[in-house]
Amino acid sequence: MRVSFSYLDRQFADVDAYLGDIEELVKTGDFTLGKSLEEFERRFAQVCKMPYAIGVASGTDALMLSLKVLGVGPSDEVITTPATFIATVGAIVNTGARPVFVDSEDGFVIDPSKLEAAITSRTKAIVPVHYTGNVADMPEIMTIARRHSLFVVEDACQAIGASLNGQPVGSWGETACFSLHPLKNLNVWGDGGVIVTRSPELAEKIRLYRNHGLINRDEAIMFGHNSRLDTLQAVIGNRLIEQFEFITKQRISNARRYDEALSELSSFIRIPRRRPGVRHVYHLYIVRAERRDELLTHLSRRSIEAKVHYPIPVHLQKAATYLGYKEGDFPVSEEDSRTVITLPAHQHLAQEQIDYTIEQVRSFYLK
Amino acid sequence: MSVKIPYVNIGGQHAAIKSELLEAVGRVIDSGQFVLGEEVSEFERRFAQICGVRFAAAVNSGTDALILALRALGIGSCDEVITVPNSFVASTTCIALVGAKPVFVDVREDCNMDPAKLEDAITSRTKAILVVHLTGRPADMDPIIEVAKARKLHVVEDCAQAVLAEYKGKRVGSFGVIGCFSLHPLKTLNACGDGGVLTTNDGALYERLKVLRNVGLRSRDECVVWSSHSRLDSVQAAILLVKMSHVNVWTEKRCANAAFYQRSLADVRGLQVPTDQPFEKAVYHTFVVQADRRDELKEYLTSQGVETAIHYPVPIHLQEVAVGLGYGPGSFPVTERQARRILSLPVYPELTQTDLDYIADAVREFCRR
Repeated sequence: MRVSFSYLDRQFADVDAYLGDIEELVKTGDFTLGKSLEEFERRFAQVCKMPYAIGVASGTDALMLSLKVLGVGPSDEVITTPATFIATVGAIVNTGARPVFVDSEDGFVIDPSKLEAAITSRTKAIVPVHYTGNVADMPEIMTIARRHSLFVVEDACQAIGASLNGQPVGSWGETACFSLHPLKNLNVWGDGGVIVTRSPELAEKIRLYRNHGLINRDEAIMFGHNSRLDTLQAVIGNRLIEQFEFITKQRISNARRYDEALSELSSFIRIPRRRPGVRHVYHLYIVRAERRDELLTHLSRRSIEAKVHYPIPVHLQKAATYLGYKEGDFPVSEEDSRTVITLPAHQHLAQEQIDYTIEQVRSFYLK
Repeated sequence: MSVKIPYVNIGGQHAAIKSELLEAVGRVIDSGQFVLGEEVSEFERRFAQICGVRFAAAVNSGTDALILALRALGIGSCDEVITVPNSFVASTTCIALVGAKPVFVDVREDCNMDPAKLEDAITSRTKAILVVHLTGRPADMDPIIEVAKARKLHVVEDCAQAVLAEYKGKRVGSFGVIGCFSLHPLKTLNACGDGGVLTTNDGALYERLKVLRNVGLRSRDECVVWSSHSRLDSVQAAILLVKMSHVNVWTEKRCANAAFYQRSLADVRGLQVPTDQPFEKAVYHTFVVQADRRDELKEYLTSQGVETAIHYPVPIHLQEVAVGLGYGPGSFPVTERQARRILSLPVYPELTQTDLDYIADAVREFCRR
């Protein structure tokens, strides 16, 4: 049995419908901004229960544009966590600001109890990451941010549909950033991202900023980027957004099945703490494993595509050298980089495939 | 029956190649490879070939191409970059966005950088000259490169409007250290969405550009420099590969349309048509005439069903965004004069001879009055 990590080949049971939509679009020649994108933005905003959504070129751009319209720039500091994909940091650095890290807690999200120690007079914003599809402790983070008058930009790139006590991710910060990359829970067929906000002023500013700062065809009032979600990708997004609840539920149910079975292997596998009230959407199903690298090889030999997100913590990447961090600075993230393993949990997996994966993990430790 | 000739007609281009396009998109779907991969590599290989350079790196937009070019050259705060004020705003934006200061020099009658004005604009902080091949006409590269060499400055080419344009037998994008192209839907080689591509002969720069466009990753797990995502979608690469087999024909048709206008509007009073130097091949992304009574001419053509455009009515140094740069009205007289006189006539390959005759007649009719 083969258990693949990617499922894109399964997305096209009804490929003709997508091609039909694309054909219609090609006829119009309307390839930037326009109707289909506006429709997608409206529907995306609804999913997040937010008034405004703006489609941009990628999740990374969503973060960079958010920080820039909030005025973050050189000589500012932005706090985030090393438990993330490097793009979070790339976005911060692209604004000219300096990234400052705070360690993560057991569920791979920023540890609010360590947040205040990292705040300086230069701190301008906090970027909590809803990493893996978990939800950072937003009420606590917001309290601290308000106390120090800091902006909050949620990195929700992996967490569309996640919520805390019924409140969806993206509804706490000044803005929140989502990725539509092909491997995300809600994806398009290329790079894409979305920013949501409840501020009409920020929404307006972001719309300008993603489109060269042009207030009309000929007049630029700021130096802006070209960062638009392709209309063609919005057409795809409009179809896939209809499957999005199904996708989320499937992933959650797959994760529960793993949690249940793997909890019986607690001397070898440590399941991260599942906080009450959190609707975790499992973009990545990650556990901590004894003899991780051996397990990875074991699974791979049995055609199970497990992965490691990520073997090098962000603060120890070569790109981070100038920041002066060293091994030992963030023990939780560092320990995670040695022990985490990601098991396939996507919506197209059959029960047998999950059971097979569980069985192979079990046999690795018990035989 | 009233005539209606739009300024652009992308639908017309696509009607003829629809089945090829959908097949290409289908191929990407079958592969499930939506980010980088074969289609993008093949596009880059062929694009490098048509530009006569060793390497091409495809990115998310022409603007991103410019930003990444400057970043790859290490240009940042405290640096100055020289460019022209009569372009689309992105050729200045990219300079500001990397933290450097844009410095303008005026243009010549051909709407391109005036090399004679370069020296005066160079300071100890100048790092690069960003040349724009506006309208699809190559800038006068020999004297520009001479100055750049003497003053040890990088030359970056903004070729957004100039795929296949030539200067003294060489394609644009092969003169500077990096060439930056846009693949925007309205360009002569166009994706069905945003896209851009960089060209270079420098292997080390090429490697840096590939890392920069992919969040600074050298491998799946190793990040060597902080950066963003800026990749040409594989779907768009597949679409562009289809169009690359047509782009020569399309470009020749544009040039033929331009030649027709040049012949039939040559001696019209109050109107100036662009002319080609023997050593250059302009590809006419836009066909820009200069008219004494531009606004009236535009209005007249509109009333006759002919849509036209102005590229661009507000020079960049007079934009609100440029207030901090210290320029004002009178700083660049040629650019400012042209901004009041220029008008872009439809020139796309799908125009019929009837369309062209109609447009030329209408222009002549107006100028006779």
